[in-house]
Amino acid sequence: MTPALLAAGVSKTYRIPDIPKRATIKDVVVRHLRREDGVAVVDALCDVSFSVGPGQSLGVVGRNGSGKTTLIRVLAGVCRPDSGEVRVSGTRSALLALGVGFHPDLTGRENARVGLLSLGLSRRQTGDRMDEVIAFSELGDFIDAPIHTYSTGMYMRLAFSVAVAVEPDVLLLDEVLAVGDPAFANKCLALMDHFRSNGTTMAIATQDFHVVRERCDLALWLQEGKVAAFGAPPQVLAAYGDFLQMQEGENAS
Amino acid sequence: MIRRVFRHGIIGFGKTQAESQGQSMTSMAYAGATIFRFRWLLYELVLRDLRLRYRNSLLGFAWTIMNPVLFMLLYTLVFSVYLRVHVEHFPLYVLAGLVPWNWVIGAVTAATTAIPDGRMYVGKTVFPIELLVLVPVLSNAVNFVLSLALLIAFVPVLGGHFSWTFALLPGAVIGELLAITGVSFIVATFNTFYRDLQQLVGYLLTAFFFLAPIFYTRAMVPERYAFLLTWNPFAAMIEVYHSILYAAAPPALGALAFLLVFGILVLLLGMGYFDRYRDHFGEYL
Repeated sequence: MTPALLAAGVSKTYRIPDIPKRATIKDVVVRHLRREDGVAVVDALCDVSFSVGPGQSLGVVGRNGSGKTTLIRVLAGVCRPDSGEVRVSGTRSALLALGVGFHPDLTGRENARVGLLSLGLSRRQTGDRMDEVIAFSELGDFIDAPIHTYSTGMYMRLAFSVAVAVEPDVLLLDEVLAVGDPAFANKCLALMDHFRSNGTTMAIATQDFHVVRERCDLALWLQEGKVAAFGAPPQVLAAYGDFLQMQEGENAS
Repeated sequence: MIRRVFRHGIIGFGKTQAESQGQSMTSMAYAGATIFRFRWLLYELVLRDLRLRYRNSLLGFAWTIMNPVLFMLLYTLVFSVYLRVHVEHFPLYVLAGLVPWNWVIGAVTAATTAIPDGRMYVGKTVFPIELLVLVPVLSNAVNFVLSLALLIAFVPVLGGHFSWTFALLPGAVIGELLAITGVSFIVATFNTFYRDLQQLVGYLLTAFFFLAPIFYTRAMVPERYAFLLTWNPFAAMIEVYHSILYAAAPPALGALAFLLVFGILVLLLGMGYFDRYRDHFGEYL
């Protein structure tokens, strides 16, 4: 059986422009001529490999800065890995936590339209789905207010509603359950269960052990961009939990 | 894990393995497929761009027509009356160059800041960011085509006459579209890393405006500076429009071929350049 989601030796680095603060033009030119001006390089993912079968759900855990978000972004096709390969079979939709692609001056409705179109829908399909999206988001009259007037929770509700409007083959979620009120979180979980029973493949980056234990078939623990453990959720979570406790002990002493 | 590397090359970093594997032909085919797949998104964004441009303005779309007409009046006064530049039917001559040039200005100026302006879509979500560059090119193309149609209707009023050569306009428009698109990808990519370009682009466009024969003719340029016209693809472009709309003569094949070849080359170059660095845009916003 071909995997629905495959990562083979995926590595990704970020480059941060490394211009010293208060540099004069002369400094910059001299450094450039000497070729001493550099960029800081962060290894966000290092030789990450795994595969997820069709209809399976993968929970990605790890501390902040361990590469979870980068992994979801690479899987989503937002950025390409520097080396290695990602294969996703079928249509994919993603919901990324940090700054979803919404224009602050446009209304919720206009943003939702662009969001649906950027998933590859036609104008007609977009028109057909709009009512569903608006209803699911529970934004009511706020749907016609500019996005910059939204709270974080409202923002994420709209983003989630757009991302799930297409019934994708592969759904990628990054820390989305951490925001929003409990009622909406429950609605999202119910929708995830619906997707699971429909055979949608999912990858979820989360800090929530419950979600991984109860709703995932596989778990991946990332540590400094490397795979620390991959396999059945109970074992991976146990190892990750032990690690967290050990770190806490170290910090305490 | 933060390490430091030294930069080299114009943009600043060496190729990674994935970058050096990029092949321009496959990336062209890929870009074409992307644009086709997201054609409805492109349509929506172009429409939105046009709507936003004329929001809260009384004359609205009429500005697209007013703009070249006002400049034509000014240039006619200064160059034809004050400086006594002698070109027959000067207003038609100026408009035949100004209308296509306005497309270049509008598209390239907006494309320069397209990536920072679209920061909410870059590197944060699944979004075909090449569209951000194509939107100003196409929304200005809509304005251009409409003002060109109006200009054609007014050709007899301005002293010219309808000619079969108008049928060659699509060739010139396609050449210009390719060239503008290619230049737009180049300036959009460069400006993302070095924002100095957005300060400079106004000057550069003015320089190219003066270096193209828009309010003077090739005959007025001293021999020793003629190379500035000969090797300037935008001068060739203006001359093609002049031949068709003003002189009602078929354009010199050399000029049209120059425009088309330049357009194709600069488009390949621009898309390759954009493609190579697009993954790093998000880090510079």
